[in-house]
Amino acid sequence: MIDDPRAVLALALGDDELVLGHRHSHWTGVAPHLEEDLAFSSIAQDEIGHAVVWYSLAAERTGKDIDAIGLGRPADGYRHAVICEQSNGDWGYTTARHLLYDLAEEVRLEVLAGSAWRQAADATGALRREERYHLIHARAWLSRLANGPAEARARLVAGLEEALPQAVGLFETLPGEEDLLADGTLPVPHVDQLRRWFDVVVTEFQPFGLDDLVDRTLAPASPAGRHGQHSDVFPELWDEMTAMYRADPQARW
Amino acid sequence: MTTATVVDQAAVRAVLDAVPDPEMPPVTIGQLGMVVAVAVEGGAVTVNLVPTYSGCPATAVIRQDVAKAVGALPGVTAVQVNFVRDVVWDPERISAEGRENLRAFGIAPPGSGQTLLQIGGVTCPVCGSRDTVADSPFGPTPCRSTNYCRACRNPFEAIKP
Repeated sequence: MIDDPRAVLALALGDDELVLGHRHSHWTGVAPHLEEDLAFSSIAQDEIGHAVVWYSLAAERTGKDIDAIGLGRPADGYRHAVICEQSNGDWGYTTARHLLYDLAEEVRLEVLAGSAWRQAADATGALRREERYHLIHARAWLSRLANGPAEARARLVAGLEEALPQAVGLFETLPGEEDLLADGTLPVPHVDQLRRWFDVVVTEFQPFGLDDLVDRTLAPASPAGRHGQHSDVFPELWDEMTAMYRADPQARW
Repeated sequence: MTTATVVDQAAVRAVLDAVPDPEMPPVTIGQLGMVVAVAVEGGAVTVNLVPTYSGCPATAVIRQDVAKAVGALPGVTAVQVNFVRDVVWDPERISAEGRENLRAFGIAPPGSGQTLLQIGGVTCPVCGSRDTVADSPFGPTPCRSTNYCRACRNPFEAIKP
């Protein structure tokens, strides 16, 4: 069990990226049209690449092998927020989660850019540059569905109603967070990052008349994902995601 | 009695300038601006590279190709290839020669009129027309977008800004 606070932070970030990236990749081949196949495949590739960046930081902290960190943990050793593991659902939920997650990434990467953990702060540079395209994509669909036919808007609203309470879990306080705050690794506690995210989401939704959906009293359930506690859908996803690695953990690629 | 061959840093740089990118072979990793630093100590060479995109699956192949190419230089006894994170790759790092090779390969190099929001008008690498439309910011690799030229009716890719 990895319990170094900086490694736990890197795992939380990396696991979010790996697990949501894996879900995004489920659209490959079955998205509504070819460009969306490409978009979700490409975004999935980015997110999984970002997971590798965070896992490499966890590897530096723990001396463990990066593949073992990424794919060699039991299901309850994963620290992603529960929203990342949910099935893709329909396009409304997919769009809602994609947007809420990428807005959360923007908030937390901006915070981490000021981290006293030099390597983590350095890592945010490339990640933020690449994330720009994810937000452009998510915003294009927000606009298209919100201003689209009644059914499109209704599905988006239903997706947001489901995803909003889950998304606050991205800001669950980490085990060991007091240490991360004390040494400047985390310049802003997650509880305050959550407030920033609410502001960002409201600003994003206002032009579409969707800001009433945002309930600022929502708080992350805890202990939840950051403590390795996941929903019923995760074991199957974990099994699929780690099957290749577990078949031969010593394999060299 | 033999004299140890002195490894020349310029020779290492020249080798790196010739290692092809696995996904865009007409351009080299040197031309793409991926080489951040080269250090030589005796026969040990350390090469620091920056990936174009974090999720680029070609990085493992690039690491092998670089190690092999540099390792073949006379006097080199060990090669260490690192990917660094304290430098952010940017298309502006691509050299003039790299840009021309990209264009000849059918990929619009940086400076062809790309914009983040994909409003079209990227100069077509095939016919040079600017009567082009953006298709998608996502393409066959993370660093490339897809476009279409209305003048010569060719689909083409462009290096993302």
